Amino acid sequence: MIVIAIIIGCIIGALIGLNAPIIPYTYSTFLAIAVVAALDSVFGGITSVLKKNFDLTIFISGFFCNSILSIALTYLGQKLNLDIYLAALVVFVGRMFTNLTIIRRYYIEKWTESKKKKAEKAVTQE
Amino acid sequence: MNNKKVISLIIGCMCVLLSYGICAQIKTINAIGTTTSSNETENGLRDSILRLKERYDNLYETLENAEKELETERTNATQNNTELQELESNITEGNKALGLTEVTGSGVIVTLNDNQSISQNNFLGDPNDLLVHYSDIIRVVNELKNAGAEAISINGQRIVANSVIDCDGSVIRVNGVKIGAPFEIKAIGLQETLVMVDRYGGYLWSMREEWLLEAELKRADNITIPKYSGVIKFEYAESE
Repeated sequence: MIVIAIIIGCIIGALIGLNAPIIPYTYSTFLAIAVVAALDSVFGGITSVLKKNFDLTIFISGFFCNSILSIALTYLGQKLNLDIYLAALVVFVGRMFTNLTIIRRYYIEKWTESKKKKAEKAVTQE
Repeated sequence: MNNKKVISLIIGCMCVLLSYGICAQIKTINAIGTTTSSNETENGLRDSILRLKERYDNLYETLENAEKELETERTNATQNNTELQELESNITEGNKALGLTEVTGSGVIVTLNDNQSISQNNFLGDPNDLLVHYSDIIRVVNELKNAGAEAISINGQRIVANSVIDCDGSVIRVNGVKIGAPFEIKAIGLQETLVMVDRYGGYLWSMREEWLLEAELKRADNITIPKYSGVIKFEYAESE
């Protein structure tokens, strides 16, 4: 059910995005950083599901707060003539890699375990 | 079950937002045609150019709106006074003659393009012979004027009395704005005489048949020619 919701949501969003008018270039930096922040939250959410401590409220608040905060920081950076968005980018992408590592480890461990079990089963059957 | 439904609904909505953001961003970047290079300075310069261009566009729009407002204010103010009305129509006529107003009407559209069928690498002659040059455009504009064109634009740049059509490396500069092939020259005037620009032995014919460039003239109704976006000022020329 959740998988279906994700797929349908992505398709609808893509359709809206492809048909919507283009946004001004000045604001595209903000959108880009918000997208990266949202993606970071999504990977964080997947990791927490795997760790079995997923909380919907935390996930939603992280998704929106991270995006809005990163936009605000980027705006502040533009006002101060300082590339603050670079710091946000480093943090988000760094965290994304950490989460990806955790996800990867989880599935590889699961895979090797199932392989081991199969081998054991084959041995006992013989 | 109900809880699961809510969760999937919320996550679905978030996916809509996320994929919308990604798609809108990709679309914007594609439309602007910017690329991220590994050179930081180049990226910065490109970024500032795009920002300035957008600011210029926005300011230009504001200016146009202000001018429209001024126009309506002027018409309103002169409505009940015949003398002022005459002066007002004088201003309108003058602006039209100077090319400071957008004009519409029937006329012709001339399209000039570099030779597309011969590969530059396989061409043994001078590759310059396969390109449309600024002199070609001057000749065509001159012939259009000779045929009675009342307003002419090249790729959206209005030709006025002090317009310059100049060579600028691989592109052509019109009114100080760089434009590249294909060139679309719009002219408003009497169609019957304007089409004679494309006559046997004429310059367009030579471009097409002798120099193998792409030159085409077609009639068009409802051509819109934009106004001159520059400033016309006289510093040294005085009139009594």
